[in-house]
Amino acid sequence: MIFSDSFEFTCPIKTNSGNKSLEHLPVELDALNAKRPLVITGKELVCKCIIKKFAKAFGDSGMTIGIFDGVTENPDWKLIDDLKKTYSEKKYDSIIALGSGVIVDVAKMLNIAVSLNVDSRKIVKDPNVKGPLKPLVVVPTAAGSGLETSRFAHFQGTVFSSFHLMPALIIIDPRMTRAESKEEMAVAALAAFARSVEAYIAKSKNPLTDAYAYAAIGFVAGNIAAAVKKPCNKKSALAIANAVAMSGTAMSNTTAGLISNLGQALVEMFQLPYGIGMGICLPHILAYYQKKGGYNIASLLLPLAAPDQYAATPDSSKADKALAIVGDMIKELYETMGNKIPKTLKAAGVPQYMLEDILEKLSLADDATFDKEGYLSVIKSAWEGKPEA
Amino acid sequence: MSDLVKEVTAGGKPLKKVYVAIMLWFVGRAVQAAAKADKDVKKEFEALPDDFTFALGVLPKGPWMVVGKEKGKVKYLGWNPDVKKLHLRLDVKGIESAILMFTFQESTTVAFMHNRVIANGELPYAMAFMRILDIVETYLLPKIIAKLAVKRYPTQWSFGRKYGGRVCVYTRALLGF
Amino acid sequence: MLLPEYYEFCCSVKLVAGHKALERIPALLADLGAKKPLIITDKGVAGAGLITIVTESIKSGVTIGGIADNVPPDSDLKVVNELAGMYKQKECDSIIAVGGGSVMDTAKGVNIIVSENATDLMKFSGAGALKRALKPLIAVPTTAGTGSEVTLVAVIKDHEKHIKMAFTSYFLLPNVSILDSRMTMTMPPFITSMTGMDALTHAVEAYYCLQKNPLSDSHAYAAIEMISKNLLTAVKNPTDKDSRLAMAVGATLGGIAFSNSMVGMVHNLGHSTGSVCGVPHGICMSILLPYGLEYNMHKSEKFIAELLLPLAGPDIYSKTPGDKRAEKVVELIRKMNDDLYAATDKRHARCLKEVMDRDGKQMVPKEKLIEIAKAALSDPASAYNPEDVDYEDNLMVLEAAWEGKPLDRTKIKKG
Repeated sequence: MIFSDSFEFTCPIKTNSGNKSLEHLPVELDALNAKRPLVITGKELVCKCIIKKFAKAFGDSGMTIGIFDGVTENPDWKLIDDLKKTYSEKKYDSIIALGSGVIVDVAKMLNIAVSLNVDSRKIVKDPNVKGPLKPLVVVPTAAGSGLETSRFAHFQGTVFSSFHLMPALIIIDPRMTRAESKEEMAVAALAAFARSVEAYIAKSKNPLTDAYAYAAIGFVAGNIAAAVKKPCNKKSALAIANAVAMSGTAMSNTTAGLISNLGQALVEMFQLPYGIGMGICLPHILAYYQKKGGYNIASLLLPLAAPDQYAATPDSSKADKALAIVGDMIKELYETMGNKIPKTLKAAGVPQYMLEDILEKLSLADDATFDKEGYLSVIKSAWEGKPEA
Repeated sequence: MSDLVKEVTAGGKPLKKVYVAIMLWFVGRAVQAAAKADKDVKKEFEALPDDFTFALGVLPKGPWMVVGKEKGKVKYLGWNPDVKKLHLRLDVKGIESAILMFTFQESTTVAFMHNRVIANGELPYAMAFMRILDIVETYLLPKIIAKLAVKRYPTQWSFGRKYGGRVCVYTRALLGF
Repeated sequence: MLLPEYYEFCCSVKLVAGHKALERIPALLADLGAKKPLIITDKGVAGAGLITIVTESIKSGVTIGGIADNVPPDSDLKVVNELAGMYKQKECDSIIAVGGGSVMDTAKGVNIIVSENATDLMKFSGAGALKRALKPLIAVPTTAGTGSEVTLVAVIKDHEKHIKMAFTSYFLLPNVSILDSRMTMTMPPFITSMTGMDALTHAVEAYYCLQKNPLSDSHAYAAIEMISKNLLTAVKNPTDKDSRLAMAVGATLGGIAFSNSMVGMVHNLGHSTGSVCGVPHGICMSILLPYGLEYNMHKSEKFIAELLLPLAGPDIYSKTPGDKRAEKVVELIRKMNDDLYAATDKRHARCLKEVMDRDGKQMVPKEKLIEIAKAALSDPASAYNPEDVDYEDNLMVLEAAWEGKPLDRTKIKKG
């Protein structure tokens, strides 16, 4: 375990994972001094049966919950203002985000609005979030981006960042986390994997981020194949959902690097889901890091391989072995998925003439290690699908 | 604006509640019976305070079972946890958690491990309760199920203790003496 | 990596680690809306000059409301009430706890009283009694350690009524824990060794006991690696600040692990040995740890074997055959105790009969083992032990630990 001389780590989240975890919600809310939660979800994004199962979990609790199921792919500030008004009028005292991705972003934005009693114009003007906020519970579904548990919220083109945005509680219930499709599972798993790998080899890492990233990498590596082949398998889907949740904590406590920044650029410029973009670029970025030096790629072998394999591999071969395992894992995934997820940026619809624009976007990110030539080479390899020269 | 949010009031789970109520009633009476029939359970209760009373039930509003010592005798005291001062109160976190316990999908130890139960009271009392419950479950359940319910199935019990005790506990529990 | 059917994990304590971590306190308090802390500590910590280091590091950024250094070795309700009175009288708005387990427990008790404006602390005992956040509390551990800077429990003794009150709540967790190498630098070798083994025991038990989960596992794994690499260095070179920091971080990782997956027989017997014979907790842990592993080997061999990698490194791990790894873990922990015995001038006892007080008197006479075995039955720490334990099992283990002989595993009842 290596860490720099000083570090800080924050994770305010309580994790409840597993069988009937949803049914603990009434008691957990009571412990947070919450009696009237407002549930934020989206019937276009989350299966009706999941919303129904969720409501049933409150059976016999005597509670009344409010459910807003109108979150769509592109929510606006008016929605936040409307929800804030309802929240105050109906005297809700907590927020539950049932779903992933944009649903959690809406929940986080609403939490800022109701807790600090500000309308959306004020939030946009001053994105610094001061806490404490009202209790926020996240009940993720399968299509996680990894940002649900993070300190980030993305809304209308702005990225909000504050540890106060991290939920107080995450409930990972296998009834909620089964994927609707192989693509959904693959994309979530890749996003979790890429973020965790980045956190594990980051220079800003520390023993606590390692603990989360280690577990997440292990869960993805050990379950992605089974989870994608059978997305309805509760056990492997639960493992992937755990990895997604852990990756959010790990990345919130490390500095974003090329993997995250490139993933973010691809989302903003081409609407490529995080898992797709980061999944395509990851092997190329790791190869670049290995060549450049200064990144502990060898350490990845510990969570990726069985302890016997790790212990038996000479130190000088650990990095190569780790990269080989990552490569094989992604290759097997693409084979299982057929053409359903793109393997290259080209196949993902990124035009070749825009590769330099991606580089320019990267140059604007807060990246002390920005390397114009190196990064362009990575983008080009990821576009073509050829290994980095 | 009022259409934006739909309010949903949680319904009940009456059948599950009835099942758990019956199980609690039976276990309560079985504890009373075992306190007379089994030397280890007797010994456990002897070490507890003279007016020791404990309750096991389901949040938020029951059902409950209450067992306590009165004048040196261990008695099943009914369904109301508020009737006496409790030395130990075990709150199961909801009807579904209670179903997991009382259909033996989760043993007592596993249920505690899975944080299905909140223990209010001194922890030595909770330890005594778990030991008592393990013995009672060994009497009530066939070996194949008891092995799932208890931590370590007592293979050293004699035939007489196990089967004789089982008959005794069942009879006393059903007839209430 | 094992994914249990159900688990819970929470460590909402913000961790700030470094050789100058104390200097962050004013800004951290400001983030929490506070600027006038009451410092709670004990005479030992103050006498070692640690409070001076703390006050020097923070005085430019905060107004120190008061310094209370009269916390006794065992947390006492009377002192808790007294310090709560001091907090109110000095109009403080936060607490900084600098010390070990008793100081942390006392600070948590004070925090309940001042936050809830309570007159009777007893009303808040048990689980679920606290419903909202308390005043800001910053924990600065001075041992490595008890892990109480990251636990959600506090135990306060009422010496007048002869009762022990236990408080359990996520609201008891400190807001921040400061892991500064200067705070453990003055720990003498003997205290370093026993608190270090306490931390190791937390991590090891958390890893193989019943409530283990993926996050407690990864924290425990990291703790074991850090402690096994740094404990002996910290004992032999007390001023080596890197090993001190690593031990502080390792102890906190171990604390996070065990507070989220509980402990087992080692703590069960250790608590009782401590309460019956007054043996310091860390010594009980060091001695009993190999026995806990042996007792549970038939149930947890796979998990214990996995610990060989962080404990000894890849070289020894790969050279040890799979079916011998768990035993090797036990052997290496016994060896750690031997090394620490030598490095502390024989003060770090390796078996119960070797435990001596300051006057050289034996602290655990053999006759007391029966009492310890009985007392252990009331301790809840056995609930999550992989194998069941009764009076006979306790006595068998204690007798072996007394002699310092390996446990005869053929005598363990396996159900």
